[in-house]
Amino acid sequence: MPPAPPETCDYCGLPVPRPWRPRLAPAGAAKAYCCYGCRFAAAVTGARGEQGAAGWMLLRLGVAAFLTLNVLVFTMALWTQDLYGDPGGPPEAMAGLFRGLFRYLGLAFALPVLVLLGGPLGANAWASLRRRNLTADLLLLVGVAASYAYSVVSVLRDEGPVYFEVGCVVLLLVTLGRWLEATGKLRTTAAIEALERLLPGSARVVRAWAEVSIPLEDVRVADCLHVLPGERIPCDGRVARDAALVDEQVLTGESHPATREVGDRVFGGSQNLDGDLWVTVTAPARGGALTRMIDLVREAQRTRGHYQRLADRVTAWFLPAVIVIALATAAWHGGRHGLDRGVLAGLAVLLIACPCALGLATPMAVWTALGQAARAQVLFRGGEALERLASLRAVRIDKTGTVTTGTPTVADFAVPPGADRETVLCRAAGLAALSPHVFAEAVRHFAAEERVEGLANDEFRELRTLPGRGLAAVAAGSGEMVYLGSPRLMDEGGCDWDEALAAAAARAREDGLPLTCIGWGRAVRGVFVFQEVVRHEAREAVARLHGLGLDVALLTGDSSARGAALGRELALPVHAELLPEDKVAALDDARRRIGPVGMVGDGINDAPALAAADVGIALGCGADVARDAAAVCLLGNDLNRVPWAVALARRTVRIIRQNLFWAFAYNVAGIGLACTGRLNPVVAALAMVVSSFLVVANSLRLGGEPAAAGDEGPPAAAVPRPVGAARTGERVP
Amino acid sequence: MIDGVVIFLGGLLGSAHCVGMCGGFALALGTRPGLAANLGRQTAYSLGRIFTYASLGAMAGFTGRRLMAEGGALLNVQAALALTAGVLLVLQGLSAAGLLPAARARTGGACLGPGLFAGLLGATRLRSVFLGGVVNGLLPCGLVYAYLALAASSADMATAALVMALFGLGTLPVMVLVGCGGSLLGTACRHQLLRVAAWCVILTGLLSIYRGVALIREPPGSACPFCLSLSNVKAHPLQGVGFVGANTGLKVAS
Repeated sequence: MPPAPPETCDYCGLPVPRPWRPRLAPAGAAKAYCCYGCRFAAAVTGARGEQGAAGWMLLRLGVAAFLTLNVLVFTMALWTQDLYGDPGGPPEAMAGLFRGLFRYLGLAFALPVLVLLGGPLGANAWASLRRRNLTADLLLLVGVAASYAYSVVSVLRDEGPVYFEVGCVVLLLVTLGRWLEATGKLRTTAAIEALERLLPGSARVVRAWAEVSIPLEDVRVADCLHVLPGERIPCDGRVARDAALVDEQVLTGESHPATREVGDRVFGGSQNLDGDLWVTVTAPARGGALTRMIDLVREAQRTRGHYQRLADRVTAWFLPAVIVIALATAAWHGGRHGLDRGVLAGLAVLLIACPCALGLATPMAVWTALGQAARAQVLFRGGEALERLASLRAVRIDKTGTVTTGTPTVADFAVPPGADRETVLCRAAGLAALSPHVFAEAVRHFAAEERVEGLANDEFRELRTLPGRGLAAVAAGSGEMVYLGSPRLMDEGGCDWDEALAAAAARAREDGLPLTCIGWGRAVRGVFVFQEVVRHEAREAVARLHGLGLDVALLTGDSSARGAALGRELALPVHAELLPEDKVAALDDARRRIGPVGMVGDGINDAPALAAADVGIALGCGADVARDAAAVCLLGNDLNRVPWAVALARRTVRIIRQNLFWAFAYNVAGIGLACTGRLNPVVAALAMVVSSFLVVANSLRLGGEPAAAGDEGPPAAAVPRPVGAARTGERVP
Repeated sequence: MIDGVVIFLGGLLGSAHCVGMCGGFALALGTRPGLAANLGRQTAYSLGRIFTYASLGAMAGFTGRRLMAEGGALLNVQAALALTAGVLLVLQGLSAAGLLPAARARTGGACLGPGLFAGLLGATRLRSVFLGGVVNGLLPCGLVYAYLALAASSADMATAALVMALFGLGTLPVMVLVGCGGSLLGTACRHQLLRVAAWCVILTGLLSIYRGVALIREPPGSACPFCLSLSNVKAHPLQGVGFVGANTGLKVAS
């Protein structure tokens, strides 16, 4: 029988605890909540929509607070009389009357509190019980009711102490404490909510020559949407008309907006900056890249990492153990000092035990970290990925697409001595304009930088593309055959090599750099030597990784000469001439020698290596977050996010440890103290509230940290964008 | 009646500080047209606050009594409380006057305030507004704590409750006015008022310190004009207020 799908709380969006006999759990009720706090908070916020009436729940809380204050005053007046007499008050005869009065007043004011606050608490505990979830709330209520019962009997018999203030304050504190937890839990999903809010609620659809504004849910695939400047694009689609600058930072991490023209892909949630756009919808309303990203984070929040499983194991037997201890304490103290003391002692044990601290310690930190990471375009597959990232000791980086940009640029342009550089470049650029090859683009870009305009297209006729070798065309003016391509093409075209050019070509081959030549009239006229551009933030990122104490090295399939040059540039050791299986071997070696190793790659060519590493980090996932090989997906190309993510993971694990330590230490100390019978249940309830508040606050610290270690904001994105560079909207799967 | 008057004045003058901090709540109430309706709401809200202050005061009085009974041998509890109250008030006043660097409370955690107050204060019925005032009185406020310490130093529940009630009543006029009238005064004027209020709070604090010192020394026969009577008996500290008889000393339970 397949396990029931995990339910999420209707208020905070976090997983509802699984019942311990799933097959017997009743069918999902209308609304499910993960805890009493969320149920209460939902009732409070839900009622706020009503016309000017404070929610019934909130009113209950207010009235309960009012009544509790009164009960406290009456109780203290009773204490004064009992303990100190009343120096300035009425004579002894009336004292008895006042005493009776205060006791009955206490009864009258305290019983409503039991109904107002105890009622919902009990209802929730009963609902949890029916879901086969054991909670402390039910036992708490039993303890409180017992203290009430004792006190009522005491009043009616006119002898014996009363404990109304204990019951009232405990109920108030427990309600407030649970509400506080729920509010904290809601905050962990705040980052995700912020992302969800990027999708507008309605869209402008063009139908039958008119524009109609419809809710987002009603947008269908193939609808045409009109997006005005300043608005956010509602759905994924393709530009049908006009062009505009679009800010896609939230999805790709690129801080520079990109121009999107007809045919380009745009994403829901990105912002149209300066032009009218008509977009044909390609994905349904809640099925776009942003929603997939959010679903990924929600999915990650549901997984349980190592620390979470540890906490789960402890929590499983924690509650039964506390119940046993509470009963034992109650029995022991009841036998020695009387029933009332027994009940109070047992109640104190129940109250001070804070399973919430244990249960919340890990999840809260993990959820906050996941949300924070998502806002920085770093997606984790689960809490486990976070924990493993924190334990990394070494990082191996694949060269292609991570350290280099993947688009080559012209490093050197050589012409024979005495030749006119500009003419040659002009012709080369003109011919290159006719080819979509990356090298041709690089040549055009180079020419543009040198401010040389390529010849117009109609300067060439009879264009032939020779696969694997290059282009050949006839120049209109002179009627000569012009060749642009590999040295082999030059040989085939009968072009002779000048000495200087031959030397340049030989040097390039030695360095393992690709080259392209242009030639006509039986001579090679120029040689272009290409190089890959090292991402300018690569050096900074490597330095940061070193700063984190990680052993960093580069893995590449290039020649060792090229690898050595790159290693010098980045100040890294380089393992060159590696086949794909060699990369896996290199990772195993690193793991043996140093420790857990992470692999940074672009996820396309190095999937096996990413899977073989302890943590695979894929760069440039773009909006294609379905890529499975990597535990960590970076939406953009910014290498600086890697050290940032490692720093975040380490901070998170540190906070988890702090929380768990606190939870254990507090519970042990607290329960121990409560067992001695010296702990006032009110103090116990207060301590419990403070404890869970501390855990929540400690975890939420992750949400406000600056996005880059040591910096004030997210690391600068800025991938250099050569003119006409590949449109990053498209990602070849 | 001198002491009671001083406390009322302290509340009155300190309430400008209250306006600075909690005036927003009062303003949030005043969304109904018509002066009468607004007046009613503001009064209900302030009554809620005063109720809470009085209750807290009673509890503080009991605490003071208890401390005195249990620790009376070790420490002159009343003097200690009076001194603490005085120091707190002076610090409050100094920080409100801008002479002390204000500590930025960085609460990364959750806060129930928005949920509670939005719900109760925005409601139509007076009972919700009253309850909003009750809850507001429980908000952490340095001025309230300082006066609570002062109330505790009286070591008597009734007196302490009265002290806090007087303080609360002192804050009532200004809060009601602000709530009803919106911003009656210009910004510059309000700043001036806040500064004056801050100095009044400091003055109250200094008075409390003086009284604390006097309680320590307890010179027989002489008296500080604000608190001790010219009696040889270890007098009740708030005798002058008129609630406690002249010959009443403190009877500690054996």
